[in-house]
Amino acid sequence: MRINGVTIDDTFAEAFPMKGTRLVVTADTPHWVQAAAVTMTGFATSVIACGCEAAVERLLEPEETPDGRPGAAVLLFAISRDELAKQVARRVGQCVMTSHSSACYAGQHEGKPIPLGDGLRYFGDGWQIAKRIGGRRYWRIPVMDSEFLCEATTAVTEGVGGGNFFILGADREASRTAAEAAVVAIRAVPGAILPFPGGVVRSGSKIGGKYKGMIASTNTAYCPTLRGAVPSLLPDGVDSVLELVIDGMTPEAVRAAMRAGIGAVVSMGSAAGVVAVTAGNYGGKLGRHQFHLHEVMA
Amino acid sequence: MTGLVLTAREAGGPPIDLTGVLPERLADGGVAALPVIRGRERVRLDELFELRDGGPSGTLILRPNGAVLDNVGAGMAAGEIVVEGHCGDNAGAGMRGGALLIEGDCGAFAAAEMAGGRLRVAGAAGDFLGAPLAGSPRGMRGGSVFVGRAGDRAGERMRRGLIAVQGDVGGWCGARMIAGSIVVGGEAGAGLGSAMRRGSILLARDPAEPTPGFADGGEHELLFLELMRRDLMAAGAWPMEFPPAGIRARRLIGDRTVGGLGELLVLSYT
Repeated sequence: MRINGVTIDDTFAEAFPMKGTRLVVTADTPHWVQAAAVTMTGFATSVIACGCEAAVERLLEPEETPDGRPGAAVLLFAISRDELAKQVARRVGQCVMTSHSSACYAGQHEGKPIPLGDGLRYFGDGWQIAKRIGGRRYWRIPVMDSEFLCEATTAVTEGVGGGNFFILGADREASRTAAEAAVVAIRAVPGAILPFPGGVVRSGSKIGGKYKGMIASTNTAYCPTLRGAVPSLLPDGVDSVLELVIDGMTPEAVRAAMRAGIGAVVSMGSAAGVVAVTAGNYGGKLGRHQFHLHEVMA
Repeated sequence: MTGLVLTAREAGGPPIDLTGVLPERLADGGVAALPVIRGRERVRLDELFELRDGGPSGTLILRPNGAVLDNVGAGMAAGEIVVEGHCGDNAGAGMRGGALLIEGDCGAFAAAEMAGGRLRVAGAAGDFLGAPLAGSPRGMRGGSVFVGRAGDRAGERMRRGLIAVQGDVGGWCGARMIAGSIVVGGEAGAGLGSAMRRGSILLARDPAEPTPGFADGGEHELLFLELMRRDLMAAGAWPMEFPPAGIRARRLIGDRTVGGLGELLVLSYT
């Protein structure tokens, strides 16, 4: 398939089931919303070493939040419900509760609950107060600038992790410009996040490596500097590859994000130095979800 | 399928105990033969009430016509009861779900030991609103109650849930309260929150007779009040005018004479 001079490979992205949740973080001002949300989603690029994958889904207007203040919706994904609960407790406890004027609410209520404020309440040292409002339970934890208000639980949903596509560009500028356009397009899709820095991965990986104990190592087939030394998958004229990894609350969200991202890339066309779009998979043997690029772009 | 309208055949007379006359029984059939107690005699429901279809499905409409009806909605778990007039004692006592709307006043022990559902009384509720029944250690343990005014000991030994009083409450409101929330829009009588352990009593006005044993924690912006305001405004039960700015509250912590960590929150706007 070729669109606007860009080749779309006949392949698929292989993705995995993950447990996901949405949190809503609010604060007195947008600055402090950013401070809390960015901190809690830091070092959350890959479950391989970070415990979870997380990012800001979108910023929220005061009219959209439970307490009428500016906010952010944050998505977190982990490989199991227990691991997600652990990551939620650590990240909200260390990054949101500590942030000036913050509050934290469940961003969804359908699904099995995991502790949110229920785990953090003990920080109140006996002075915490439970409050049921509008059928939902909250904890008020006294802190030095007033109270940290936190919903008791959040709900876990069956999400999808590892949706992806690769942008094969003529040079670094071409792949970067195309990736930046894709990131802007994907961030407008509800229910999907790009957990890597700036939404983009340059160090795509393959499973295992030559060294004992390495779970993953550099994706040699797509490293332009190794062309000729390893079996390369790079077409002629490609000198830079960037990957976009997408996590979503549903397969549909991942599919929509891939479509939006690839659409933004191909709209720039071959004239902008974009040569091809492909995707990463493991032959379909590992992941439950397959997103075929031709079907996504049909 | 429609609901059922029960109109009392006679005004006055001994109180009629309507225990068991509940919306969830409407689908069973045989409602007319349900036993009710009037004074010391057990009679069929249709001996005391005229029955006819009417109202939305699952709804029981009661027209007391001057008769005293006790235990209206007591123990109800689903559906809706509308009382087009006044109620006697124990209205909604032990309710677990559904909605009970009383367009007039009701007697003592309304919502006593209520565990769920919603009770709304347009007029005044008597003493012991949401309190324990005699001999029981705990009062209301869930659900929401909205009343115009309330008598003495509203929310006594309350364990969970919400009582919102638009106007005045009598003495000993929230006494020995264990948890939950009480909102008072008018004046509160003496003994407010006396011996309370936990829970919140929100006051639109300064208490006329402050209860000893509460430590003044100063005035604060408390975020949960904004959530409560939104929830209560949706129910038409926030006790103050719509705020021009954020809500503040003077926080009195107690009752320290019993080691309590409850709070009286005197509301104001910034």
